[in-house]
Amino acid sequence: MNLLELQDVSYVYSEGTPFEMVALHHVSVGFEKGSITGLIGHTGSGKSTLVQLLNGLLRPKQGKILLDGEDIWAKPKEIRKIRYRVGLVMQYPEYQLFDETVRLDIGYALRNMSLPAEEIAERVEEAAAFVHLDSHLLDQSPFALSGGQKRRAALAGVIAMRPQVLVLDEPAAGLDPIGRSEILGGLRKYQESFGGTVILVSHSMEDMAQYCDRIVAMNHSEVFMTGTVEEVFSHAQELSDIGLDIPSIARIALRLQAAGIPLQGSLYTVSGVREAYLRAIAEARQMKAPSEGGDRRV
Amino acid sequence: MFKDVTLGQYFPGDSVIHRMDPRAKIIASILYIIAVFCARNIISFAALAASALLLILISRISMMTVLRGLKPILFILVFTALINIFLTRSTEEAPLWQANIPVFSWNWQPSIYREGILRAIFTALRVIVLIIGTSIFLTYTTSPITLTDAIEELLSPLKLLHVPVHDFAMMMTIALRFIPTLIEETEKIMNAQKARGADFSNGSLVQRAKALLPVLIPLFVSAFKRAGDLAIAMECRCYRGGEGRTKLHKLEYHFSDFLILFLVVAFMAGIFVINHYNPMGIGI
Repeated sequence: MNLLELQDVSYVYSEGTPFEMVALHHVSVGFEKGSITGLIGHTGSGKSTLVQLLNGLLRPKQGKILLDGEDIWAKPKEIRKIRYRVGLVMQYPEYQLFDETVRLDIGYALRNMSLPAEEIAERVEEAAAFVHLDSHLLDQSPFALSGGQKRRAALAGVIAMRPQVLVLDEPAAGLDPIGRSEILGGLRKYQESFGGTVILVSHSMEDMAQYCDRIVAMNHSEVFMTGTVEEVFSHAQELSDIGLDIPSIARIALRLQAAGIPLQGSLYTVSGVREAYLRAIAEARQMKAPSEGGDRRV
Repeated sequence: MFKDVTLGQYFPGDSVIHRMDPRAKIIASILYIIAVFCARNIISFAALAASALLLILISRISMMTVLRGLKPILFILVFTALINIFLTRSTEEAPLWQANIPVFSWNWQPSIYREGILRAIFTALRVIVLIIGTSIFLTYTTSPITLTDAIEELLSPLKLLHVPVHDFAMMMTIALRFIPTLIEETEKIMNAQKARGADFSNGSLVQRAKALLPVLIPLFVSAFKRAGDLAIAMECRCYRGGEGRTKLHKLEYHFSDFLILFLVVAFMAGIFVINHYNPMGIGI
């Protein structure tokens, strides 16, 4: 079932001026409940606009956005309630930190929601744990943190709202490999423990293959392709035509297949290709073993 | 929210005015301002209005854009017009309208005179023409960088008095350069805080001012950081002020610059002459 759905949504910037620019053109797409959906597309394809429409930062010029089957703009005065349900982490969210301590900053949204103090304290700790932010950092000034820690604090500030849908625009951009896997892995954990729905914008096809269930590919303000990771990445040629790519390991797998090694299974992550490769070797050995009678290496 | 403000924005183009030397444009707009303030009767005001229209046509900036640029000053226009209408008193003629409103023991007599209405119309027209003239000559048709270049050139005689003209020009360039960046950043931060439930448009004035803190603090932090980064980047390229600095694009006067300046001077002189010739007797 689709928790969040766009129906024929269009968005135009600076309508009626010389700077008019169509950002989304009749886009219809659904995001399944409890899934992690990756949103890919080259720069300027409309991803960021789409993301800002999802939580009502922008209002569509045409079409509807349905959350749980209800139009989010049915009551424009209560759009803030929608924003608590659809949490958005913008690109490079570090700049949103402002409060005296990290603890207060993570609790900013919760205070806006007028939650009781005990619940705020509890949720702040919980959110900090999801993003692997050490608890001794919570009482420091956010401006004293390192870049990676700031990113985590900003993420926690949105996760603390316990949104039904968590939308993240390039959450791991500019982080080191450990930071990447901790933050993206934390999203997996968040999704598993809350049954939350996650929408992840990223340019890294490797991350997409590893963390997402489904992929939406955008091109020129329109949805180009949707499907499971396997379905989308099996169209390598089409993706490269619109300036996108498949994970490097998937390209290696394609080369291996072209060289006559019969790989089968999920060939989009390093571990998947490794397993398929080992299986192929084992099968090759079994085929050769009866005829030659030895255990020669392939 | 900032996107509708066209006042002070630069619109690239290739009209006669766009191609003028920026120094000539500054001088032309100063002369034009003098002409605007000297106009005294209905004919000279008509000439002003015609000149503003002519400038818009020559610069090929769309009329809509110019009108939208006037929106921010609408309040000032209405306010001054009301003041002029109600507070102008003439000793020579009878009021067109007068009321008696008792305020406690004092009798308040708001009255409207013919002169007040004239003053209101002329002042509004003067401000409108002033804004249109200066923005056509300067902001709409001149990029901020060339503008500061021109200011530096025009003020360069002050160097003899040890005024750091170059440094002022550089400061102005940097300030102008970063206005769009800061606006963009403000919108970004506002969006991020809105996503966390910030509410900037409801509540009392105090509440709204408080709601802006989560925007202002990150904005200042990043502005200071940006300033530091910029200083380092400039030092890395051995920037050390104006001494011995040469320019890639040297400003040069052309014949057309002198021609336009001559026309503006002629226009100014024309206004002076018309001021003394008032066939209809309508003027201030």
